Amino acid sequence: MDAKQILSEVKTISAIELNLVVKTYLGSSEPAVKGISLSVDSGSIVTLLGPSGCGKTTTLRLIAGFERADSGEIKLAGKVVSDMSTWVPPERRGIGMVFQDYALFPHLNVRDNIGFGCKSHQRAERIREILALVDLTGLENRYPHELSGGQQQRVALGRALAPHPVVVLLDEPFSNLDADLRAQMRLEVKQIITAAGATAVLVTHDQRDALSISDQIVVMRDGRVEQIGSPRDVYQHPESRFVAMFVGDSNIIPGIIGPDTKSIETTLGLVPCNHTHDLPPGQPVYLSIRPESIELTSEGSVEGVVESLSYTGQSVDVKIRVDQGVNPALILLAHLHPEEKVQRGDKLHFRIMPDFVAVIREH
Amino acid sequence: MPRTVSAYWLKLWRGNPPGIFLALLSLVVGCAMFIPVLYVFVRGLQGGTASWMRLMDTRIPILLQRSLGLALVVTVLGVVIGVAAAWLVVRTDLPGKRAWQWLLALPMVIPPYIGAITYIIIFGPRGWLHNLPGAHLFSIYSFGGVALVLTTFTYPYVYLICSASLKRMSRSYEEAAQAAGFSRGAVALRVVLPMLRPAIGAGALLIALYVLSDFGAISILRYNTFTTAIYYQMGSFDHKAASILSVILVLISLTLIWLETKTRQGQKFYVTKGGLARGAEIPLGICKWPSFIFIFMLFAVSVLLPLGVLGYWSYTGIVRGALDQRFFGFALNSLSTAGIASILSMTFALPVVYLKLRHPSIVSYSLDKMAYAGYALPGVVVALGLVFVFSNYLPFLYGSMAMLIISYVVRFLPQNMQAVEASLNLVSPRIEEAGRSLGLPPWQTLFKITLPVVAPGILAGGAFVFVSALKELPATLLLRPPGLDTLAVRVWIEAGEGFYHAAAPAALIIILISILPLKWMLSKY
Amino acid sequence: MKKVILTFFAIAIFVAALSGCSAKPGELVVYSARNESFVLPLTTAFEQQTGIKVRLLTGNEALVNKLGEEKNNVQADIFFSNDAGAMEFLRLQGLLQANKSPAVAAIDPLYRSDDGSWVGLSARTRVLIYNTDLISEENMPKSLWELTDPKWEGQFMITRGGNGSMVAHVAALRVAWGDERTTEWLTKVRANAGVIVSGHTDIRRAVGSGEYKFGLVNNYYYHLQLAEDKDNNVGAIYPDQGADGMGAFVNAAGVALIKGAPNSSNAKKFVDFLLQPEQQRMFAFNNKEVPLVPGVETVSEAKRIDEYKVMSVRLQDIGAVWADVKALIEAAGLDWDLSK
Repeated sequence: MDAKQILSEVKTISAIELNLVVKTYLGSSEPAVKGISLSVDSGSIVTLLGPSGCGKTTTLRLIAGFERADSGEIKLAGKVVSDMSTWVPPERRGIGMVFQDYALFPHLNVRDNIGFGCKSHQRAERIREILALVDLTGLENRYPHELSGGQQQRVALGRALAPHPVVVLLDEPFSNLDADLRAQMRLEVKQIITAAGATAVLVTHDQRDALSISDQIVVMRDGRVEQIGSPRDVYQHPESRFVAMFVGDSNIIPGIIGPDTKSIETTLGLVPCNHTHDLPPGQPVYLSIRPESIELTSEGSVEGVVESLSYTGQSVDVKIRVDQGVNPALILLAHLHPEEKVQRGDKLHFRIMPDFVAVIREH
Repeated sequence: MPRTVSAYWLKLWRGNPPGIFLALLSLVVGCAMFIPVLYVFVRGLQGGTASWMRLMDTRIPILLQRSLGLALVVTVLGVVIGVAAAWLVVRTDLPGKRAWQWLLALPMVIPPYIGAITYIIIFGPRGWLHNLPGAHLFSIYSFGGVALVLTTFTYPYVYLICSASLKRMSRSYEEAAQAAGFSRGAVALRVVLPMLRPAIGAGALLIALYVLSDFGAISILRYNTFTTAIYYQMGSFDHKAASILSVILVLISLTLIWLETKTRQGQKFYVTKGGLARGAEIPLGICKWPSFIFIFMLFAVSVLLPLGVLGYWSYTGIVRGALDQRFFGFALNSLSTAGIASILSMTFALPVVYLKLRHPSIVSYSLDKMAYAGYALPGVVVALGLVFVFSNYLPFLYGSMAMLIISYVVRFLPQNMQAVEASLNLVSPRIEEAGRSLGLPPWQTLFKITLPVVAPGILAGGAFVFVSALKELPATLLLRPPGLDTLAVRVWIEAGEGFYHAAAPAALIIILISILPLKWMLSKY
Repeated sequence: MKKVILTFFAIAIFVAALSGCSAKPGELVVYSARNESFVLPLTTAFEQQTGIKVRLLTGNEALVNKLGEEKNNVQADIFFSNDAGAMEFLRLQGLLQANKSPAVAAIDPLYRSDDGSWVGLSARTRVLIYNTDLISEENMPKSLWELTDPKWEGQFMITRGGNGSMVAHVAALRVAWGDERTTEWLTKVRANAGVIVSGHTDIRRAVGSGEYKFGLVNNYYYHLQLAEDKDNNVGAIYPDQGADGMGAFVNAAGVALIKGAPNSSNAKKFVDFLLQPEQQRMFAFNNKEVPLVPGVETVSEAKRIDEYKVMSVRLQDIGAVWADVKALIEAAGLDWDLSK
């Protein structure tokens, strides 16, 4: 085996690998997780995103070993930890976990919380490193109830990272924080995980968490994976109506693939699209048009009337009613530059930019 | 084959099986708690038709009438007094309401048998009021006397639960009724009272079960119910009759519990949190001072009188040298038996509760229910069961201090379990998962994380058990080894002989020690 | 794991220690059906003299059943009883062991078993104590049968049928009257009595204070009440003294030596100790009973046994019928139902 082979071997070992994992909770007829397969590369941050009840937390707990799968296989760092004949309990999986409520040990101070999972010979040193990493130096003698929400969050993360886990699992880590802190913690957490060189899987129902922190997003729905991709992929090119509507806002309209396969014929006219799944011309499809791809311009071929609007500071969110040749009328949502001065009842001309348009599955 | 066994095991525990050690320990504790009671039941049902018929013909009808009559009267009186006191103290402008809130709970710490003794000293035929004109019209040794004493020392069950309920009850309902044109009195009767129904039911059940199980006060006041009859049958070692009577008593208790749950079904009141819990005090107006006198009399009768009597006789006794070496020997017996019982229950409560809350399954649920058997049933029945078990299977422990201590654990472990459950309920299972994710196996997680976090609950439960064991009378009387009298037994013996100066110091010590965990008890409600 | 092991280790030691202490040498386990205040001075004196630790369990005559229950796992060394009938009953059940002590042999054979397994220590006569302020001697009932007369309803006190003195007394009445008449007496007396109490102390105090007019007690309770500072206006009727009367019932209280006793030699020492003159004087002067060791004087106010007519029932005859008598008492409701 030469060096090249070894290198490719290493590359193919994912930090986490799930193969057709199924989990049904006792007393429920429908599985919570219906045969999920996914793999997470070492050193990346992956987010499981979906509405509540989609199976994302169950998936996380299956990886951690807090739940047992009914069937399927789970591998951590190439080793099987759960299949029909193997079961490795959570304490021997080498995972770090950050809980939604942080689950800091109330009877231990910051130092002992962080050092809890460390081997004794390297403990003091590792605690110092982690305290520095999560920026809590000087607070090591405080108890959890004496810390702010953000500080607790960092202790939880530090505690999970301290024993050099194969992977860090974060369950809705930001849901207990208020909006300001939340935005700040997203950046900090990402920075800390990256600095620690850790692999992380994060569960959230908040698309902003997912988009801002992840290398990969796994959108889940009803116990199944709906789409896997980079944040940009998932946002720009949702593959289903569900993803389009759940990750950000979207306008969904029917259409037919145009002859050049780079545009779609719709009631709004020919809409340019770079993401058509190589479908043949003439195929009826649905189209997701992100509000960002609507650009006001006097040369715009589409005409509509402002039905309602709200100013958010970052943009003006406008609902435009289009009834030229459309029955019933279409309501399109557009995010306009905040400087655009529009009013209710204004007649607008716009065009659709191809970057945020994608052909989707209708369901 | 091992595959199916382990699959079955997993299914039994809903995919979340406990460690084998935890499961075994809980199994042993649950069964140990349940077997004595089960044994009584089996023996009673095996009693034979002839014995059943004989008892049915003679004592059972009388005992039924007495036990149920007493339970009914005491419960009704207790509910009336408890609800009235709770409403006055929580809702109105009663003078001194803050102090009354806990002063009225104090009778809880006076064991009814001690209360009965103080009432005999005052109202008895040779009592302090003996020479008052008309004193002979009332006999403390009567149904009325027993009912009075038991009511005096059990009304706090209803009082505490109802006042807690009133404090949490949103004022919006009352204000809505007032806005709809109801007078204050009508509001109290038609809005507040029906909403207190679950609290009253729970308190009334506690009183009724207590009256059915009480031995000390009833026997000191020379009344006769199922418990005293069982005690005397056991005294004459007629275990068959004792078992038969026990079965009936157990069935009555279970029926009461069932009836209470049954009538409460469909009557769940959700007290909304959003409403204004603190509102204006209801002015009592002209009734203010009569109400104050009522509350003061209640306090005087249930706390001041007994403590005064005990204080007086304790002083007399101490002057006469009651605190001699023997007395300290008895105190030591009490402290060591109650102490060991509380240590044992602190050890065994956590495994059972942990199994129930963290590994829910039919097994853990049953073990938990089984562990409550000794608590729901009268002490004499528990003692009877232990006599059966020990003389048949553990003869080397029969007649030892261990048997007495085990009876305390069987009777009072559930008090510890309740305290542990309350505090474990507040601990997120995520904390334990955090421990496991950091490399601790389940049993280490239990010791390093769960145990330190629920330690206050375990200790509080241990304190309850300690106090209950200190007060315990019927099982102690029946099971104590020769030469090992406890303070409670001495109170009973000395008072039975009329040596009040010797009984009072022991009684006073029991009460003073019982006050210590009252703080926890009050915060619980 | 360390803590788990430690905990269990501690429990194991604790259980072992407890079971160990149930049979330590240098101990004596006494089951006593007698009032504790009578027994305690004796056991304390014994402890002081011999250094043997006495573990005393005070109960009532039902301890006889406890002794039977523990036949195969004997706990007690000595049974201190109010009633010769109960002791003879135990002997007939094979629960006692013989004692050849010369001190026992010195007691009148009337008041001990032939094998010395039980021995009477003091005699007591069943009398009616009455309050002289409430009722005169002439008006008092003169026979036990008169207690069934409705005119006494609610005016007198008796003890429960579980009381040893009471059982023996009923046994004697049964020998004299037969089952039917005895049952009638029991039922009527139970209905007639003002109150039914556990012990005689309650009776003497209540009669002394005038709560009830009279009550059925052992004679020394009358003497004890006479010696009180107050409430001492009491008299005593020795019942059934008429020409055709059956006489008063005399019983003996004593001790029995349990078969298979864990501390048998200490038990024998204790029996000998009780028969020493000092202890006998304690019975006579502290308890006002009639000592059975020849030559020990009695208190002056106690009637000598030859001054009144006694029932012609032999104490050992009571032992054989003891269980039947208990059944009679139970049937009449006198053993379990104290409430009026």
